[in-house]
Amino acid sequence: SEMNKLWVRMQHQGHSREREKREKERQELKILVGTNLVRLSQLDSINVNTFKKVVLPGILEQIVSCKDAIAQEYLMECIIQVFPDEFHLETLNGFLKACADVQQNVNIKNIIIGLIGRLAQFAERDPTGIPEDVQLFDVFSDKTAEIIQNRSEMPVHSIVALQVALVNLALRCYPTRSDFVDKVLETTADVFSGINLEPLEYNSETCKELLKLLKIPIDSYNNVCKILELPHFSALLDYCDLNSKKLISSYILQNALDNETLIDSEERVDSVLHLVSSLVMDDDSDSQGAKVTEDPEDFLEEQWLMARFIDLLKSEELDNQYIILNMAKKHFVKGGPRRIEFTLTPLVFAAYSLATRYAATRESDDKWDKKCQKIFQFCSQTIMILSKADLSELPLRLYLHGVLVASETKFDKAEGFAYDFISQAFTLYEEEISDSKAQLAAITLIMSTVERARCFGEENHETLRTQCAVASSKLLKKPDQSRAVALCSHLFWSSKPQDGGRRIERC
Amino acid sequence: MLVLVIGDVHIPQRTHSMPAKFKKLLVPGKIQHILCTGNLCTKETFDYLKTLASDVHIVKGDFDDNLNYPEFKVVTVGQFRIGLCHGHQIVPWGDVEALAMVQRQLDVDIMISGHTHRFEAFEHEGRFYINPGSATGAYSPLSSADIHPSFLLMDIQAATVVTYVYQLIDDEVKVERIEYKKPVPAS
Repeated sequence: SEMNKLWVRMQHQGHSREREKREKERQELKILVGTNLVRLSQLDSINVNTFKKVVLPGILEQIVSCKDAIAQEYLMECIIQVFPDEFHLETLNGFLKACADVQQNVNIKNIIIGLIGRLAQFAERDPTGIPEDVQLFDVFSDKTAEIIQNRSEMPVHSIVALQVALVNLALRCYPTRSDFVDKVLETTADVFSGINLEPLEYNSETCKELLKLLKIPIDSYNNVCKILELPHFSALLDYCDLNSKKLISSYILQNALDNETLIDSEERVDSVLHLVSSLVMDDDSDSQGAKVTEDPEDFLEEQWLMARFIDLLKSEELDNQYIILNMAKKHFVKGGPRRIEFTLTPLVFAAYSLATRYAATRESDDKWDKKCQKIFQFCSQTIMILSKADLSELPLRLYLHGVLVASETKFDKAEGFAYDFISQAFTLYEEEISDSKAQLAAITLIMSTVERARCFGEENHETLRTQCAVASSKLLKKPDQSRAVALCSHLFWSSKPQDGGRRIERC
Repeated sequence: MLVLVIGDVHIPQRTHSMPAKFKKLLVPGKIQHILCTGNLCTKETFDYLKTLASDVHIVKGDFDDNLNYPEFKVVTVGQFRIGLCHGHQIVPWGDVEALAMVQRQLDVDIMISGHTHRFEAFEHEGRFYINPGSATGAYSPLSSADIHPSFLLMDIQAATVVTYVYQLIDDEVKVERIEYKKPVPAS
């Protein structure tokens, strides 16, 4: 009977609200109704079952039938706040159905997000508190889908905000179910394709919500490889504008670096470089010309980030490492001349390092020579790409570095590769380097490399040291000439002193 | 007075970051001067060094992207004249006699060089020669043995410098202490 009295009072209040419509009285009535609900919740006689069968349906009926948006919104929120979570868990279906039935202009998104948040917290604190038959995620996922379908005027960013709440629920309460996370991403992508979404503008509401949605799994897993396992992540990323894509890509790379996540298989390298392709190469679809407005400092930072990330593309297993480097190169050559000096360079160094490691296995691996040769082929091709892109100082140094590696590892046919590399270096020196300061630096490097290298037979060495001496004597400034020739003399230790002397005299 | 001697970092060309344990040790505000042997190779790393101390001296390595760093530098700290050079220009690389030539040329008490990625600290003909190695343990074909990340911290007091060598070996930071006294000039 107590309850009945409350029903009646509520009913009257519901009606009088509509009739009154004066602000102050509305406020007072609002508080009164709220208080009634609180009293209702405090009644001892209400347990889960009575709530489920009697109380809630009654309240919900009142709410829906009064058709007043403000009242509906307030009352729905009241219900969530006032009654315990255990009750809500039992009555989700009914409650969410009512959400679907309220007026179109009620901000249902906030109500649902509020409810999801509460229940997620509850579930985290006490996972056993959720009844067996309540599949939290499924219920919310299905019901919100229904609600979204029913409300054709719901703005896109609200839909995405709901998805954000769902993905949080999935990650907090069901951390092992990555398929839940993917379902949310899939749903969002479907919504976008269903409404033929226009390209998103950076900084729009929808874009902000979408970025939030994409960042949550990255932060939650702290393992970029798990993101690669969500098939709909990249589909969703494709809906973003170029700036957003770059933002998320950088976010992913930074996350990998912060967590030292190694990308240790060919497939994963392929996946991740596809995912972050907005940083790997120019985006042909970019009609807005974001490239034109790109800040050069930002570009540098982007490429340095990418280059640092390349250090994570590695495997302990040497053969696997070689495959990974090849896959990475496939992607990075698409970057064009602006990027390759940043991206191909670490690949070359990684390859050199790999050769050294192979050399260390010479006792156990009889194919190590051939593997080193393949690596030097790889390096030769890669450095060639750099020199064709009008770079000269960098490829020269990379070639010289290769000579040292060949010298140290002493694999079969190393001398051939080393001689080829040093010839390439000489060519670059003669044809591309014209500044006199740069010339002195370059010839010094060439000579110091020849000095250090132990892989050249007498014939080759003779040719090289002659070339060095000639180059030294041709330097533009006399002081440079004498410096260079003095250095060159180091190369003549093994030969007869007269030869060296004659060369020096000729300068 | 604390002087950090560091170099051959090679980020991002050969490695992605400084060892975390080193970063924890290198705290801003404790070091007065930084002497860097070069091969950072980018402005990012240079800016990082600037956050540790305002007085940063750097010389050009063969892979640095900033072409305006000098090839040689002489810095006076306390009673010591300190020479700084990357070392790829000093041929043969790592050779004591060649380094000694440069030391005489620059007329310095302490000669710092890098390039070999191998830590060195020794006295030769009354002068002190040091090489901080590579701060990241970056790959180099010049050191065939395992390269450990390392850097040096010099504590300069009057005519004595105590050099602390920090090396990361098997993920543990190991510290060694080496003392050098400036020889009293013959009267």
